[in-house]
Amino acid sequence: MLVSVASICQFRVPKASHVYEHSTVKKPIWRWRQRSPVIRCCNRKEAVETKMEKNYYELLGVSVDSEPLEIKEAYRKLQKKYHPDIAGQEGHEHTLLLNEAYKVLMREDLRRKYDASIGQMRAFFSGDMSGLGYSSWDGSLRSKALFVDGNACIGCRECVHHASNTFVMDEALGCARVKVQYGDDEQKLEVSVDSCPVNCIYWVDREELPVLEFLVQPQPKEGYGVFGGGWERPKNVFAAAESFSKQLKNQTANQHQRNTHFTVEEETPAQAEARVNASKKINAGRFSRLWDWAKRAFQKDM
Amino acid sequence: MAEPAYTVASDSETTGEEKSSSTFAEIAIGIDIGTSQCSIAVWNGSQVELLKNTRNQKLMRSYVTFKDGVPSGGVSSQLLHEHEMLSGAAIFNMKRLIGRVDTDPVVHASKSLPFLVQTLDIGVRPFIAALVNNVWRSTSPEEVLAIFLVELKAMAEVQLKRPIRNVVLTIPVSFSRFQLTRIERACAMAGLHVLRLMPEPTAVALLYAQQQQQTAHDNMGSGSEKIALIFNMGAGYCDVAVTATAGGVSQIKALAGSAVGGEDLLQNMMHHLLPDAESLFLDRGINEIKSMGLLRVATQDAIHKLSFQHSVQIDVDLGTGSKISKVVDRGEFEDVNRKVFEKCESLITQCLHDAKVQIEDVGDVILVGGCSNIPKIKNLVLNVCKRDELYKGMNPLEAAVCGAALEGAVASGLSDPFGNLDLLTIQATPLAIGIRADGNNFVPIIPRNTTMPARRELLFTTVHDNQTQALIFVYEGEGKTVEENHLLGYFKITGITPAPKGVPEINVCMDIDASNALRVFAGVLQPGSHLPAIPFMEVRMPTVDDGHGWCAEALHRAHGSSLDLVTVQKKI
Repeated sequence: MLVSVASICQFRVPKASHVYEHSTVKKPIWRWRQRSPVIRCCNRKEAVETKMEKNYYELLGVSVDSEPLEIKEAYRKLQKKYHPDIAGQEGHEHTLLLNEAYKVLMREDLRRKYDASIGQMRAFFSGDMSGLGYSSWDGSLRSKALFVDGNACIGCRECVHHASNTFVMDEALGCARVKVQYGDDEQKLEVSVDSCPVNCIYWVDREELPVLEFLVQPQPKEGYGVFGGGWERPKNVFAAAESFSKQLKNQTANQHQRNTHFTVEEETPAQAEARVNASKKINAGRFSRLWDWAKRAFQKDM
Repeated sequence: MAEPAYTVASDSETTGEEKSSSTFAEIAIGIDIGTSQCSIAVWNGSQVELLKNTRNQKLMRSYVTFKDGVPSGGVSSQLLHEHEMLSGAAIFNMKRLIGRVDTDPVVHASKSLPFLVQTLDIGVRPFIAALVNNVWRSTSPEEVLAIFLVELKAMAEVQLKRPIRNVVLTIPVSFSRFQLTRIERACAMAGLHVLRLMPEPTAVALLYAQQQQQTAHDNMGSGSEKIALIFNMGAGYCDVAVTATAGGVSQIKALAGSAVGGEDLLQNMMHHLLPDAESLFLDRGINEIKSMGLLRVATQDAIHKLSFQHSVQIDVDLGTGSKISKVVDRGEFEDVNRKVFEKCESLITQCLHDAKVQIEDVGDVILVGGCSNIPKIKNLVLNVCKRDELYKGMNPLEAAVCGAALEGAVASGLSDPFGNLDLLTIQATPLAIGIRADGNNFVPIIPRNTTMPARRELLFTTVHDNQTQALIFVYEGEGKTVEENHLLGYFKITGITPAPKGVPEINVCMDIDASNALRVFAGVLQPGSHLPAIPFMEVRMPTVDDGHGWCAEALHRAHGSSLDLVTVQKKI
């Protein structure tokens, strides 16, 4: 469990493994010295560009609903391009990612866990929003769900105090978030929502929840010129969610059609499991983010 | 490709290895150093070509004789008679001895060889010596191998008319990383640079991938995935691999191997013919060496003959008054070696299990190596794989070296206009690598059969309150406790902030690159703090040299369990 969590976090956070890369680069790897510098340069550039900015599906260039056979084929094709035997030592980091992505996506259980963790699970695209996301559900699914806008939250812990089974404090981000939907009784929930001094706890539609929860997580930011890298989350998470959904719909219009047979009315056992996994992920996720922060701190100081 | 007029700054930091950069197109040659035979091959621009020595041999006996004090190897020299090799002056079977300590059963089994293998049973390297002018002259497996490689190198350089530097060597699956460093050392002594060390069956898998791709080209087929089982048994080692092949990519699913081979068959048979052989040979007088040599040759002949006929008459005069005259049939031979054959079977089953492949899904069964002619081996492989036929189209004695030559060409960055080099092997780790934790247990961090290159990490924590230091012992192997595994190295992590036991988080990360180099990173994490406490450590393994068992013991004596670690429990 820990291993997989650690590697996922390594992937999700672009600079997570930099501590290691630093040392890798410093070390003269003379086995590959006889290669032409021309090849090395372009490879390095490519490696930097593609480095970990993508999720496993994008990395392998497959759609989220692809069959194992397609994944295998894509993996082989990419290996032929990036494997250190062919691309030289610069292919090392990328091949590590490919291997990790392949391992996760080829195993049904790991893939489901991963899908849940990136907040855009296959179920999401199949049209049935069963409330999978960062928070898990206690009991049956309901039409409304609680959501904390992390941008507005001042970290007063008022909600955690009133409904400790539902809300948790995210120490790394300094804001509260929902761990378990309906973890406490209605009354406690009402009190905690009302007690929030900045009114950042919202009742939202269940369908909106995964997107919101996905977007409220700080995401690694791509560098554009001087506005390089870093982390960001949308200023207005609700507006961002709306455009994000629209974008997704456009992007996956074709997939929607292909996927209609995936559509299910009730929550399938697989989804139920994913929901459970998602809650596990939160517990571990808290830790993994700390790990990333520690690593980033390392890197700054290096 | 034209060289640019400038040099990238980071390129100049190397240590003079850079001179070969102008010979970018140097094709690495493939060498298969077998326990008994050796071959060398190279990609000649359109196909793999095996190089022949001056006596027109493609396969050369792996031995070095120190007769008259001048070492000469099996590449160039011609033995007058087989008995000369067994006179005590020649060292052979170095692949079974290299990198092993004197408590190793394989080393003990080698004590019946005609040269001197002395063991003190304390976990150091054995003393190995050749008989030169009636004196035991000391040498080492590395030295012997290096002499042999120098001859191979010279032979190839003459034929290819260019200096040879980069090589791809095939190795047994069961070799530990320490043994690999010994092989690399021998190559360095011979002035060769190891580009890749390839487990033998994976070299065969690469050749298979090439053949499959050619067939796919011919049929204009799509080249769908084919799963093959490769069984390779030579004189010293037995290896199994399961590989999935498609489009020239050979993906190793699982590897299994053990140090059993033709040499064991031979020794068991010798023991069967002369039960008190060990006591007879204890003193190693000149006469005993001679009679042992006679017995060895006779037994070897008999085993070869038993591959083609059902029984064989053995008549040998050992010269010391004892004569052996016996008829041995195939059943007897198979009975004497039942344990060896059982081991082979279990390796196949284990490999299939590890690869998560049903035997019905296996497309081709490939049998290679010097033992592939033995009927029992053939039957056993066919039986376990539920097949009637083996894969044809490979020379069982040349497959490994051909694969190594292909890998040499691919890893040298060569491409072929006809797509014959559009190949890739995706290797897997043959042994698990981990550290000592939870008392005396071995906790794997990179499990066996992980796709390479690989990087894995695991969290550990302290066992004592206010523990500020921790020792990281890196082991390789499959055993549950550390004693069953090979120690690769150790180092200390310092600067753990004093805290109750179980609180500090120590991250241990291992990284294996495509050329199989292992690096271990470790350091203390400080949650909540943005300041790095202590820089992480990066250690290239293996670091221990001889007597590795002793290091762990000495460290334990000195520190007890005060610097121990435990795995972090799941936080759910």
